[in-house]
Amino acid sequence: MNNSLPRLIDGMVATLRREIIPHVEGDFARGQAFGVIYMLNSIRLRASWSNAFLVEQIRALEEASRELEAVVGELPGAPAPAVRAPPGVPTESELEAMRDQGDARICELIDWLATDGKTAPAATVARADEIVARYIQRQLKWEISTSAKPMFDEISRGSD
Amino acid sequence: MTQASEQQRQPGWPEDRARGVAGGEASRAGAFADDVEELRARLGAYLGAQVGAAVTVDSFVRFPAGFSWITYGVDVTGYPPGSRLILRMGPPYGLYAPYSAMPEFKSLSALQGSGVPVPRVFAASDDPAILGAPFFLCQRVDGDTPLPWGGQANKGLDGARRESLARDFIDALAALHNFDWRATDLASWGEGVSESNVAALQIEQWRERFQRWAMRPHPMAHRAFAWLSLNQPKAPRLAIVHGDYRLGNFLERDNRMTAMLDWELVHLGDPVEDIGWAFLPQYRAGTGLVCGLASEEEFLSRYEALAGFSVDRQALRFYIVFSLLKLGLTHMAAARCFEDGRFDDMRMPAMATQMAPVFRQIEKTLERSK
Repeated sequence: MNNSLPRLIDGMVATLRREIIPHVEGDFARGQAFGVIYMLNSIRLRASWSNAFLVEQIRALEEASRELEAVVGELPGAPAPAVRAPPGVPTESELEAMRDQGDARICELIDWLATDGKTAPAATVARADEIVARYIQRQLKWEISTSAKPMFDEISRGSD
Repeated sequence: MTQASEQQRQPGWPEDRARGVAGGEASRAGAFADDVEELRARLGAYLGAQVGAAVTVDSFVRFPAGFSWITYGVDVTGYPPGSRLILRMGPPYGLYAPYSAMPEFKSLSALQGSGVPVPRVFAASDDPAILGAPFFLCQRVDGDTPLPWGGQANKGLDGARRESLARDFIDALAALHNFDWRATDLASWGEGVSESNVAALQIEQWRERFQRWAMRPHPMAHRAFAWLSLNQPKAPRLAIVHGDYRLGNFLERDNRMTAMLDWELVHLGDPVEDIGWAFLPQYRAGTGLVCGLASEEEFLSRYEALAGFSVDRQALRFYIVFSLLKLGLTHMAAARCFEDGRFDDMRMPAMATQMAPVFRQIEKTLERSK
């Protein structure tokens, strides 16, 4: 891809809005097109080219760097890239799994506090509950701040 | 009958729907005729067989409204019960699939002539051999639908119009909750339900749905379920609960409410549940008023006088949290439905984005209740 992901999405949204939707017949069909715009706007706030895509490019650079290093010694003043891929870059799915495993334990803790927690020291239970509440608030705040402005009126009516 | 389930019917939940909520994932499409022309032909044949004469379907238009059942406006000739009809179909890939048309059909049939404005219902079936999915036919009532998210149709929802609609909206809800369901075919819904267990039954029904719909762990849902389990109120009475009583689900004409629609979540329950749902901030149309129509005090004062009981404010808080959770889980259902590839409707992922704001509201409500 030669364009940035945000610019590509902006272009798709503008094309849908200006060039396509005005020519679509039917409220439902236009509503679906507005739904596509809304989801593109949402993706724009969270997406970037994937780790897997970029890491492969870095690895190619590293290989070239190592090979060039053996050569540039005989080329005084020649620039060399000297790139090294960072070790152990997790993929998006590995990060997602890590988050889900952690959240699953938080869920188990919430259930435990609501049942077995009744026999534990009240102050400690309250402290744990407060930490969990703060964690949830932080996660939700982040999710909301990276969400696009809703377009339910446009989606429902098929017009803006 | 569609999608038979082995799960037993749960108390308070219409027996016809028990199949629906428990049946797991519906297979995509099946015999459902997505094609409008095919549906049109099948409907004409069905109506003709019903009246023993040729029925012509003159127009057949899908409406953009509704996130679950598919709604069509149908004009027919030769069908004595009516010429302007609404066809509602529960597609096998829908939000709450698999569906049954019977709870909505039976409740609307029972409510004919009550103080609740409902469309006349003409026919219903869960037999997929007819149109490919559960369906019911009812009168197409005149009116427009003010929506909770603003827009042109809501312009001028104030002054005399607002006051008139507020009266109708509150009066119809009180009439629904005063309705003597025990004297109708709905009496069987009361089996195993009491004022003391109705909140617990609702919590369990929605917990079961949560477990079925969740695609990853959701700490906020666990926190909400834990709070609800600890704070269950006793119902003042058992009543028919609409389940989605709000702005956006009624028709208006000349400042009057002409029909309450979308009865797909109807069940027997605590009447305060409907109030909690109507009180949600999502349906205030940016006005701060309950469903954009009345202040909380005005709403409760008029409702209490008509319904004949005082609304316990703690119970109301419980049902607001319950309603927020129910709304969040409905968004979760939309995400699941889309992710499973059952439905490519772009409204589904759009709805799903609202899960976090709803969960944030639950958290704030719980914080305030401490």
